[in-house]
Amino acid sequence: MNDLIITLIKVVFIWVWVLLIAVVMTWVERRGAAMIQDRPGPNRAGPFGLLQPLADGIKLFTKEDIIPAKAKKLLFILGPILFSLPAFSAYAVVPFGDKIVLGGKEIILQVADVNVGFLYIVALGSMAVYGIVVGGWASNNKYSILGGLRATAQLISYEVPWGLALLAIVLVYGTFSLREISLAQQGTFLGILPNWGVFKQPLGFILFIVAAYAEANRVPFDLPEAESEIVSGYHTEYGSMRLGLYLFGEYVNLCTLSALMVTFFFGAWHLPYIDMASFLGPISYGIASFLVFFLKVSFFLWLFVWVRWTVPRFRYDQVMGLGWKALIPLGLLNLFLTALAIQLTI
Amino acid sequence: MAKPVVEKRYKLSEQVYLWELIKGMGLTWKHFIFNVKASFRPEPHTIPTCWQYPEDRRPIAPNFRGAHMLMLDEEGREKCVGCGMCAKICPANCITVENAKVPEGEEGKYAGKTYSKTFTIDWLRCIFCGFCEENCPKGALMLGPEYELARYIPEECMADKSMLLANFHKAKQEGKLRPPREPVPVVGAAAKSGEEKPAASADEKGEKPAAKPKAAVKAKPKAAK
Repeated sequence: MNDLIITLIKVVFIWVWVLLIAVVMTWVERRGAAMIQDRPGPNRAGPFGLLQPLADGIKLFTKEDIIPAKAKKLLFILGPILFSLPAFSAYAVVPFGDKIVLGGKEIILQVADVNVGFLYIVALGSMAVYGIVVGGWASNNKYSILGGLRATAQLISYEVPWGLALLAIVLVYGTFSLREISLAQQGTFLGILPNWGVFKQPLGFILFIVAAYAEANRVPFDLPEAESEIVSGYHTEYGSMRLGLYLFGEYVNLCTLSALMVTFFFGAWHLPYIDMASFLGPISYGIASFLVFFLKVSFFLWLFVWVRWTVPRFRYDQVMGLGWKALIPLGLLNLFLTALAIQLTI
Repeated sequence: MAKPVVEKRYKLSEQVYLWELIKGMGLTWKHFIFNVKASFRPEPHTIPTCWQYPEDRRPIAPNFRGAHMLMLDEEGREKCVGCGMCAKICPANCITVENAKVPEGEEGKYAGKTYSKTFTIDWLRCIFCGFCEENCPKGALMLGPEYELARYIPEECMADKSMLLANFHKAKQEGKLRPPREPVPVVGAAAKSGEEKPAASADEKGEKPAAKPKAAVKAKPKAAK
């Protein structure tokens, strides 16, 4: 019973936390875009425009909810839910901190330490595309269906290098559990570098981050919603809170992907060269590990924004060419080299 | 002949794309840092390309044509004599002037012997061309610096005399009154003014051509002041 309550608290906590990040991210994206493009951005609602997401939320909730006359009603309603649910549930296996000791009881800062958490992530990552395709199909709009089809093609192409990059990580750490991968990244590598995945798998990291951008449908891979080509892609026909769910799901997705990058490649909650556990108390260590983890996550979230306002969108054939002709061979090469290195060192 | 297509040969560093991407991100980072620093400065206008409108306004041109003002002279008397020249030339037909003799005991309020009993400008119709100002023989009507003319109720856009006078007082208080406009030179007017006959015939025809030189004469000494 006690364990159940603790798990419930963890679930609610991380859920609210991720929601909060997604909300703040809408502000960060708009302000960041503005700053990069030499304009102030939303700065009227609250200090620095920080209450802007709240105003957006009120707007989206109170807007008229329109379902197009010839849309498939059930699927139309299902689309945004299918999109945002996997994004939320992927956090179940991501460790967001080490552990916290309360009253002699050790609490792992992770909702569920599944020993195949890795597979769970990969499976859920590809689920999100159903939301896009279903939404695009149900809208009964040529732009929507084009967006949906593009999303499918893109996901199929980039799931492979994504998986290959992750597979190399599994080879290095020899486990499917995200917590064990995180724990293995403590200390130093080759004596000078922090023992982070990115130094063991530099090519793997590049493959992963590129594929992650494609999976999240972010610029430069935002073909499913390419405004200049297909209006707004899969969510052309959506309005009010359904659109809000799509947009929100995207930010939660970004948050998940950033957390994965940190977990696999940037030493999860470990600080380089410093072992926090050696001088912090059990409770403060738990909180510090959580904060360090989200500091790293926030960097990658910012990177998403930064790249978005730097790079123009790829052409469709360029996206496919990059996926099939560059990333997949590189992924295979990376996997081969990793396997070779491990075989030789053991 | 169509231009021959020149295929751009990319260098290897460009083909890899990553390095070029990082260069681009350096550029956006520079902009980002500049603007973040700028947005923390206390002045209202820190980001050079953006005016934060109600607090931070662009300067208007010296001959800006905004809301109309009915001018008062140095002794505080209304210059308008209610001749209706402004209404006559108005291309949008938005000015209504009602002429009346100055009632007894109120001579101190008006500069002329007649005055405008009512003077209404329909801002919904007005195109702010400034012809009324150019055409006014007494320099009694001017377009002022005020440009926030949007209203919720159409009736409020019918500017009556009190509003026009209030505009004048406001502009005077803020020191935004500009000297009267130089008369627009008319092509061929110099040649015609030498001969008496055409000028006389114009006088007979109506006030309009005659009024212009008058206004010019009136305006010039003031501009010199």
